[in-house]
Amino acid sequence: MHFRIKDGVTLDLLPTKQFKTIGIKVDFVAPLQATAITARALLAQVLETSTAAYPTQKALARELSRLYGASFGISVIKLGTKHVIRLTCSLVDEQYLDNFNDQQPLFEQGMALLKEVLFAPLLPNGNFDPMTFTQQRQNLLTAIKSLDDDKQYLANRRLQELLFTGQPTQAMSALGDTHVLNDLSATDVLGTYHDMLANDAVHVAVVGDVDEDRAQAAMADWPLADRTITDATPYYRWSLRDHVQNGDDEAPVVQAKLNLAYHLPIYRDDADFMAAVVFNAAFGGTPLSLLFTNVREKASLAYYASSGYNPFTGTLSVQTGIQAENQQRVEAIIAEQLTAVQQGNLAEDLLAEVKASLLNARLAALDSPQRRLTGLLNTQLTHLHEPLADWQKKLDAITVADVARVAQQVTLQATYCLHGGVQGAK
Amino acid sequence: MLSKKTYDRLGETVYQTTLTNGLKVLMVPKAGFHKTFAIMTTDYGAMDNEFVPRGQTASVRFPDGIAHFLEHKLFEKKDHDAFDLFGKYGASANAFTGFTQTSYLFATTSHLKENLEILLDFVQDPYFTAATVNKEKGIIGQEIQMYDDDPGWQSYFGMIGHLYPKEPLHIDIAGTVDSIDKITADDLYAAYNTFYHPSNMNLIIVGQLDPEETLAWITANQDAKTFAPNESITRIPSAQAQPADIVPTTTRHLTLTRPKVNIGLRGFDEVPAGRDGLTYSVAVSLMFDLLFNDTGDNYLRLYDANVIDDSFGYDFQVQRGAHFAQLAGDTDQPEQFASELTAILKDAPAQLAAAKLQFDLVKREAIGRIVGAINSVEGIANQYDGPLFDGATIFDELAILEQLTFDELLTAAKAFLDQSQATVYTILP
Repeated sequence: MHFRIKDGVTLDLLPTKQFKTIGIKVDFVAPLQATAITARALLAQVLETSTAAYPTQKALARELSRLYGASFGISVIKLGTKHVIRLTCSLVDEQYLDNFNDQQPLFEQGMALLKEVLFAPLLPNGNFDPMTFTQQRQNLLTAIKSLDDDKQYLANRRLQELLFTGQPTQAMSALGDTHVLNDLSATDVLGTYHDMLANDAVHVAVVGDVDEDRAQAAMADWPLADRTITDATPYYRWSLRDHVQNGDDEAPVVQAKLNLAYHLPIYRDDADFMAAVVFNAAFGGTPLSLLFTNVREKASLAYYASSGYNPFTGTLSVQTGIQAENQQRVEAIIAEQLTAVQQGNLAEDLLAEVKASLLNARLAALDSPQRRLTGLLNTQLTHLHEPLADWQKKLDAITVADVARVAQQVTLQATYCLHGGVQGAK
Repeated sequence: MLSKKTYDRLGETVYQTTLTNGLKVLMVPKAGFHKTFAIMTTDYGAMDNEFVPRGQTASVRFPDGIAHFLEHKLFEKKDHDAFDLFGKYGASANAFTGFTQTSYLFATTSHLKENLEILLDFVQDPYFTAATVNKEKGIIGQEIQMYDDDPGWQSYFGMIGHLYPKEPLHIDIAGTVDSIDKITADDLYAAYNTFYHPSNMNLIIVGQLDPEETLAWITANQDAKTFAPNESITRIPSAQAQPADIVPTTTRHLTLTRPKVNIGLRGFDEVPAGRDGLTYSVAVSLMFDLLFNDTGDNYLRLYDANVIDDSFGYDFQVQRGAHFAQLAGDTDQPEQFASELTAILKDAPAQLAAAKLQFDLVKREAIGRIVGAINSVEGIANQYDGPLFDGATIFDELAILEQLTFDELLTAAKAFLDQSQATVYTILP
């Protein structure tokens, strides 16, 4: 069920008795701007810490515990040309609790808490509390730096920087940039906050045993005004470069991380989108895939080898963990797999299995309240409503020729290797 | 034959039985769910590296990492890989090895019967040869090296290694590149024949299913196979470290941006048998919530002093033959992190008495966590600890938690803390 609450503010309700919790998601969607990414990431962190009514982390944490351990969080997401600040809250449905005697049901109490967080933050002198602000800025700084300790993450981030040189919105991580962060003041972030409340598209969604009246009533007093949403495309389009960008760095790693990025200009609303999804699943997106089978299992060259497809940025990426001296062999095997698919050499059996696995994943997602909620953002951004039956029909219809046609549009654009100093065979 | 236990308020029912070959089967149907999750577990893990092989009389010490190696190799058959069989139906399959268990699992939204048969057949039909065993050494070698690059993994297992310096827990579950090199096909058969007998295994199925029909499929599959008679298993207990053997502090260096500290706390007390063990486990976990979670004064004080941050976490776990807690996080003040947290633990009796008013709060939070886990088929299945807590399910755990009193918490906390020994494991940049 889909409701327009105000101009630019929507509510989606997924009523079901399948779960013992009620899930809430609130997305604030803005155009992706390099200058704003960092401030929005910090804003999310500050809002998550406290409110006027719950002025310390302890006070907020106690309220969440009192609500039977409501899981609450604010995260930031980059999706194509959009930046999303996402609040999530999951509450126990009290019909499953012994001795529940709070005055209000937990869903209504959770919505009231989200209202506090969003509209009554801790602003002691009309601005964010200096201590909270400084501390959360420092926390975000260390969080960004610590991410690099995860070498798979680091290799992927360096690859993105290489791929999108000169395109800062795409090169930057969703958490932003440490240099920008250092210069941000509480006043800057307050401006970002007001901008978010006034101008972002707002998509609220609820999943659980809740009816329409309850859901609408629970957000009736949220002070959100009408807003004009410029419905710009969520897709990031970029032009192919003549040369592959190669990069590598030495780091004390035992296992080298070799990542590759490709241009695949097929977006979420393209006729070939489903074929691209199937292509990725067959190429490296599932454990049945060509990369997993040929790089890991047959050649014993890697512990992991997989691919990912982003239909909002038109990119395909490959991640592997290898011995540095095998880099050239691994790149050759990956290229062979791609060429094979481009030439239509894809076993019918594998195609059928990959399709079965995609259907399985799609149905399994229906069993997760979180995935039911997060899946809605795609629909919000693309305006593509696709009932399961239609989706399945499209999936069934994909042929080897469709997959080959997609594969032919895949062009290598960047390679990056993070290795332990053993110079690759190059 | 099929026993049935209902949990009215939760609207859940658990069906269980033990087959004539000894395999324990437990099923939880979930109305409205599309997925079915099945997990088959043997009571055998990385800890069990010395035992009397079935049919023999003398004990044998096997190379470290053999349980994990066996897990990898069980998928591979003479002319196919079991993994691919699941793939035909779009099911996703996986397996993992812990200190005391090895599990094989799949999730599917269709063809439950076929997938169950694949699971039972591949787990119950080993095929190991010198050639296939040798090929696997490269893949597992890569896996071991991957964890060498993971500071989080190094911190956790570094801590455990210092809590259990004489027990097999101090060695990586996957073994070492040298130890796995010694593994032979005969070793794998010896371990397999000893621990993969149905009487040492259980099968949990949760989600979209009909219990009677599902049991009929399983029974037919098992009745068509021949198993050795059930014999008891003789595990040779490893050397046991004494409290004095535990090194209080260890520091090592790795490339990372911020120091990581992991404080391990090993219990030398006896965990009560059966369901009482689960009560003990739930109570000690709540004790850690009272002392360290973000609703308490300690957390805020240390957070505001930048001793801990959002990376801080803790947990308590009970396994067969080992129970321990960890308190871990990234910090720019590793010495304060260790001294402050250790001081709180030393002062626990007074701290707990002062935190009595928070007991209902942390209990509510823990209840919410369990109810949330009941939303997922994996959450229900993975919470089952088999023989460890006398077959208790997540629903039993919820009931235990709801009934737990503050006095019970204090009793368990005292038992654990009075006979515990700590190690502080620090990784510096």
